[in-house]
Amino acid sequence: MLDNMKEIDKSDLVSEVKKYAEKKARFVVAVCNDLLDRFEITYFFNDTPGMNMSTLRTTIGKEEVLPSITGVYLTALLNENEIKELFGVKINDIAIDFGGHMLLAGDSPTLPMLKASPETAMKGSE
Amino acid sequence: MPRTIVPFGPQHPVFPEPIQLKITYEDEKVVDVVPALGYGHRGIEKACELNDFQKNIYLCERICGICSSIHGIAYCEAVERLWPLEIPQRAKYLRTIFSEMSRVHSHLLWLGLFADAFGFESLFMQFWRIRERVLDMIEMTAGHRVTQSVSVIGGVRRDISAEQKSRMLDTFKTVKAETERLTSVLRKDYTVKARTVGVGVITTEQAVLFGCVGPVLRGSGVAEDARMQDIMAYKDLEFEPIVEQDGDSWARCLVRFRECLQAIDLIVKALNKLPEGELAVKFKGNPPAGEVSFRHEQPRGEMFYYVKGNGTKNLDRVRVRTPTYSNIPSLLLMLPGSSLPDVPIIVHTIDPCISCTER
Repeated sequence: MLDNMKEIDKSDLVSEVKKYAEKKARFVVAVCNDLLDRFEITYFFNDTPGMNMSTLRTTIGKEEVLPSITGVYLTALLNENEIKELFGVKINDIAIDFGGHMLLAGDSPTLPMLKASPETAMKGSE
Repeated sequence: MPRTIVPFGPQHPVFPEPIQLKITYEDEKVVDVVPALGYGHRGIEKACELNDFQKNIYLCERICGICSSIHGIAYCEAVERLWPLEIPQRAKYLRTIFSEMSRVHSHLLWLGLFADAFGFESLFMQFWRIRERVLDMIEMTAGHRVTQSVSVIGGVRRDISAEQKSRMLDTFKTVKAETERLTSVLRKDYTVKARTVGVGVITTEQAVLFGCVGPVLRGSGVAEDARMQDIMAYKDLEFEPIVEQDGDSWARCLVRFRECLQAIDLIVKALNKLPEGELAVKFKGNPPAGEVSFRHEQPRGEMFYYVKGNGTKNLDRVRVRTPTYSNIPSLLLMLPGSSLPDVPIIVHTIDPCISCTER
């Protein structure tokens, strides 16, 4: 039900994102979903001018490394650091890499957004 | 020239909430900026996965104090699209009115804080004095001044009576007249112009490439506003985005000022056209499996909600991207080259909301 979605391989991610930058599209957000055995990352772009949205989706294994798109859209830096910190997605070459310490405090749960996190397990057993 | 790194925040008079900017200066010129977050993360998205989808409304309304009703509305609009549910026409209008009341009080709050940031205390007090009247209207209709809970899945739970409508029309007439009186101060005062014109410039192309939203984007000449979509009653009200071309702090200030007056007009128009009918549509069961996104315009800019349902009472995923999250990276562009006293002004023109950003 997402608008104009295109599924791509992670090896094509940066080149596909560059096409959006060339079209002067505005980066909106990247959303990560934990599918238990893999991660699904969806990138949303606004087709400027106007309010139409396009999406790119890539799926990677949990041990795979995702290329950063901050070389094209610097604005994705908070987004990529967040995905790295909260989900544990390995992302290479983020323009400003906070090293997994952007949002969480030292004593926070690690990788809290993973489906198998302790909070989720507790909820399931209630 | 030796370089000095100055931590700007997390506690600073210009920041109502904590964020740090590690600013590198060469003499008094900014040469580099690195934002540091992490002072207000609450794990709200995770909590949304663990809660019943209806209880999430209250969680989302607590993402931000200023735009609480807009967060609740946007969450409900997103979840309703999973079925999809068509909400009553009256509910669409009421959601529009509550959204625009949030915008008026948020922009008046910002205009006051902005005046305060460059030491114009009397202007600050005037804007906040006017804002009190708007908060009174919000309290009268929504029941609270700050965290307002007006939306439910399928519609709204607060109505506006004929008596309230008449009082609102009178009050917003006064609010508009009083706000317009401050126009000449804003437009003619030497101090305001001296501190803002040509300061923190971001071009049209840069604003798009840096993913800017809201008054930051529109202040750089891009006519994009989530209210241009066919959502709620905005199409009926013939909404047009407000745009300024110069891309500097003054342009962003003007966009907010003009939007404040426009929001009052939208409220009046919506009140006059408010259709009769039900407040909410009934629905059964849990949201079906699927994924949707929804965008609404907060006072600070475009807000994005993504929800993924799995057919149970718990949603699989809720992702909230707030406007400040998109506007913070633009500081990396606006601040370098500016001088030390301009930093608070420029930072202020993105209207940072950190509780929103960190969720």
